[in-house]
Amino acid sequence: MKLIFVEFFKLKMKLRAWLGPILIFLLIIISFPLTVELSSEALNDVFYSILWIASLLTIMVSVESIFLEDYEDGYLEYFYVANNSLFSLIFTKILIYWILIGIPISCLGTFFSINMSDDISSLNIALPSLLISTYIFINLFALGNSLSLNKGSALGALITIPLLFPILILLGKIVLNANFGFEISNLLLLMLGVLLLIIVFIPFIISFIIKTHLE
Amino acid sequence: MLKKLYHQFASPKTYIILVNKMYPYILYFSVLFYAFALVWGLGFAPADYVQGNSFRIIYLHVPASFLSQSLYIVMAIAAGIFLIWKVKLAAYMIKSIAPVGALVTFIALISGSIWGIPTWGTWWQWDARITSTLILFIMYLGLISLHSSFTNFEKADKFISVLVLIGFVNIPIIKKSVDWWSTLHQPASITLTNKPSIDPTMLYPLIFSMIGFSGIIVSLIILSSKVHIFKRESHKSWVKRNV
Amino acid sequence: MSDSILLKVDSIGFSINQNRLFHNLSFNLKKGKALHIKGNNGSGKSSLIRILLGITPAGKGSILWNKNTDICFLGHKNVLKNYLTLSDNLYIHGIDSNESKTKDILADLGLIKRLDTIVGNLSYGQQKKLALIRIFLNQAKVIILDEPCVGLDDSTRILTTKFLSSELKKNKSIIYTSHIPIDIDSETITLGGNQV
Repeated sequence: MKLIFVEFFKLKMKLRAWLGPILIFLLIIISFPLTVELSSEALNDVFYSILWIASLLTIMVSVESIFLEDYEDGYLEYFYVANNSLFSLIFTKILIYWILIGIPISCLGTFFSINMSDDISSLNIALPSLLISTYIFINLFALGNSLSLNKGSALGALITIPLLFPILILLGKIVLNANFGFEISNLLLLMLGVLLLIIVFIPFIISFIIKTHLE
Repeated sequence: MLKKLYHQFASPKTYIILVNKMYPYILYFSVLFYAFALVWGLGFAPADYVQGNSFRIIYLHVPASFLSQSLYIVMAIAAGIFLIWKVKLAAYMIKSIAPVGALVTFIALISGSIWGIPTWGTWWQWDARITSTLILFIMYLGLISLHSSFTNFEKADKFISVLVLIGFVNIPIIKKSVDWWSTLHQPASITLTNKPSIDPTMLYPLIFSMIGFSGIIVSLIILSSKVHIFKRESHKSWVKRNV
Repeated sequence: MSDSILLKVDSIGFSINQNRLFHNLSFNLKKGKALHIKGNNGSGKSSLIRILLGITPAGKGSILWNKNTDICFLGHKNVLKNYLTLSDNLYIHGIDSNESKTKDILADLGLIKRLDTIVGNLSYGQQKKLALIRIFLNQAKVIILDEPCVGLDDSTRILTTKFLSSELKKNKSIIYTSHIPIDIDSETITLGGNQV
């Protein structure tokens, strides 16, 4: 419990690390409509894919140095010596990132999607999909960035994004099904299932990788 | 006894000695095989009744796309062996296979593109197979850049193995989901998945070309693994004696 | 393992990139005793400490810690967040800067008036002092220090020495490396050359 408070505090005090990405999310969302004719249907058609890509890019930017600072100032080492395991730390860090970045951008994205299409049911599509997918994105980008760690975030992104394609496709399918008026709850449940799998395994793999970095 | 055997078999030294003996045979036989298959396929097999002569690139494209996936499976097996039993040779093999795998995947992509121009009228189509091959290509490049960005090779070996295994779990998922995704679009006019059943006169040269091409790729891997092993084991006395 | 022995190191060896740093190294750590690891630069002192901490695996041999032995460790890295204030950094390490004991130590180190300073604005020596507070307030049975006195002024060094000898009297154990002599009773392990 104390760990959650400490990690929350560490991230909260670093304004650029969480407010920055949220603003970047806004900027991406704003910049897409500028490139299409505003009155046209085109924007409505592609709006959801803008939303998914924007959330992906935002998470990519925000997670790029999730472990770097703790690695460089010796915190990871300190934590490992004290607890003999890194799992809880990594799990908590990912959770905190989701709370401070994932949830806000999910809410913002939902807000814009309500404005975009006059269809109020978009609330049922955008909010749950964004909430679940951002958590998955954070997990996987954390994995990629734990591999690249101090070798730059481009490498982390390069090895992570291919792993995310299935999630993007799933998100696309959700919108498609919703447009045709099909049930989307089974797809959301599928994504939730993926998340539940990932939530346990990814921190485990990351702790192995970071342990190797510390050696 | 068993341990000794395993140590001997898995040591880079034994591998190099074995490979040095076998390398010329593999190379010459496979080149011969492939040349034979090409002559048969290009010269004697009948032209396809839909695609005409352009289908003949199949003798490059199919072996390449077959190998692009099977090489990843081989890497995944090696990664498992390295992480579980800590056999160094397995790690060397991953590092040596990755560039060859990238090359083969690249050949598959390019030959597919060239094939696409006469058959689909475009060199790029958002088809499920092409897209997943492109993703595979990027994953190979990701592996190579990950390994090359570390100066400590022992750590790099572990990282690349972990990434290979993660990719191995993910590739079927990516393939399945890309197949699923491609039904979003209108189906391509001629997809590779629904190709007309192949005539024996085309099939036999194809099988020969696959064997020959695989042999050539194996000898390429042997070459790259030799370079890598000599680099990594350069301090050992047996390397100094052999180089 | 008897209760008085906290750590048993049996014929460990270690090499980096085939460059052998030490081999066949054995020693014990007893309760209330200090071990001083000596050696030239690059002789493997820090590596040995990281092996003892379980961060780096040893190539050969075995390392056995007594059960329930908790360790307090300060290495080259200070484990400080340089965008946080001094008191926030203490909070991260679970130290309440309003407690009287903490305040005494802060006063001794001359940091009491700087509690609201951002750590990034402190000098290297001051940061090292701040890192030492964590050691001074620890409850662990074993203290492991890697070059604790680098960058410290004389008075802090004396304070550190005093603290360490008082800890030894409290039956705690210490393992340390230091080029700057620390005046406490300790056995010596020399790496590179003569080995214990």
